Amino acid sequence: MSERKYSKDHEWLELNDDIATVGITNHAQESLGDIVFIELPDIGRLVKFGDQIGVVESVKAASDLFSPVSGEIIEVNNELQNSPQLLNTDPENTGWYMKIKIDNTEELTNLMNFNQYKETF
Amino acid sequence: MSKTLNTVFLNDFHIKHKAKLFPFAGYSMPIYYLNGIIKEHLHVRELVGVFDVSHMGQILISNSKHNTSSLEQYVPLNLGKLEFNKSKYSFLLNVNGGIIDDIIISKIIINNNEFFFIVYNADRKTVDNKIFEKILNDYIYIHDQSLISIQGPLSYSSLSFLKIKPDMNFMQINSTNFQEQEIIISRSGYTGEDGFEISIPNIILKNFMDKLMKSTNVILCGLGSRDSLRLEAGLSLYGNELTEEITPVEAKLLWTIDKIRLEKCNFNGCKTILHQIKNGVKKIKIGIKSVTKSMLRSQMKIFDEKEKEIGFISSGGFSPSLKVSIGLGYVDINHQDNKLFCLIRDKMEKIEIVKLPFISHKYKKG
Repeated sequence: MSERKYSKDHEWLELNDDIATVGITNHAQESLGDIVFIELPDIGRLVKFGDQIGVVESVKAASDLFSPVSGEIIEVNNELQNSPQLLNTDPENTGWYMKIKIDNTEELTNLMNFNQYKETF
Repeated sequence: MSKTLNTVFLNDFHIKHKAKLFPFAGYSMPIYYLNGIIKEHLHVRELVGVFDVSHMGQILISNSKHNTSSLEQYVPLNLGKLEFNKSKYSFLLNVNGGIIDDIIISKIIINNNEFFFIVYNADRKTVDNKIFEKILNDYIYIHDQSLISIQGPLSYSSLSFLKIKPDMNFMQINSTNFQEQEIIISRSGYTGEDGFEISIPNIILKNFMDKLMKSTNVILCGLGSRDSLRLEAGLSLYGNELTEEITPVEAKLLWTIDKIRLEKCNFNGCKTILHQIKNGVKKIKIGIKSVTKSMLRSQMKIFDEKEKEIGFISSGGFSPSLKVSIGLGYVDINHQDNKLFCLIRDKMEKIEIVKLPFISHKYKKG
């Protein structure tokens, strides 16, 4: 397990070897309000850093999900399709939304650590 | 140059109660509080919620012959025959029968003087006021009173807690004394529930709110849940379902128009409306429901089986009561069949036509 990283698009990422678990931050869910739907990315899809890979819909509006790294999506959290409210109640734990096999771990240096994220937002 | 937002009298009160404030119709308004939109929504359906809707326009117009006939040019009601202490849902219409605004107009007596009392949309204040100023004399904009909406099955009992006993039916209105001030209470709202809207002088408002909050089961609700509640109730919203290009016939609101005045054709747009009744309309308002879990949103396009564009969604969102996405929209009159699709982010998603309202109204009707 590595230190958690954070993107400017309000996503967190936790690395285990070259597999990263990704979710939205607590700050993100707070500003979105009640989340009622998530469109998860397709498993097997190859994505680049910053690609639009999914959508979260709150009662108010839709917001895009952007991949915080480049790699291959190997797993998604299907639990969220039936219980999107997990994104509100436990966004940084059981509310993770995808696992991605990272192409190049050096990309992680573009991301923030917790203190940097907290200071920025 | 960015315009500064107007604030309502209770702004500090809302901040103290942890409201999430967002710009709405030129005002900084509570959209939701700590509970969030879904909980606030369900609370109103089951118990009672309080909304600050003071961004809306309020005007008192003295009940004179001149004002009655001037208003009747725009408002398709028999205002001369409107009973005292009654409210009506109506419109200001343009010469083409398009809707300038939707309003609640009432006739009331305050301190022995007779008035029309109109509540109108914040977003339309500039346009409406211009009309009022052009056609009326002897009227007053109410700036020193807020408008508080108390909605839900327990709304009557929460007002009883304040020693206010508003014994009236849906769409009735009265002025009464509260803490030595005149307040105007109507049994209405725009949520589909039993409820009251109270126009209350700002000097006693904080006291009123603090007392009301002590009543059992009362929570503060924002405009977010007010919108999802009115959508479930199938009620139209100005700027979405109602615009200057849409007539009451297309919006399925013909029932609001006075039949005799329509026959006589003596108000703005009556010719268009009569023509539409006789020959039919091209587009019509419908209620829709998402068959998948995707969210319907306003501006999305509606298609038929052959992927021909036949309409658009005017309001869309999540229904906390039904746990699916619902919406209102306009479709070509020839395509009111059930096989419709909506384009949601490059995907054609199936939608169903639903009879309105989505959630039945629970108004107090004697």
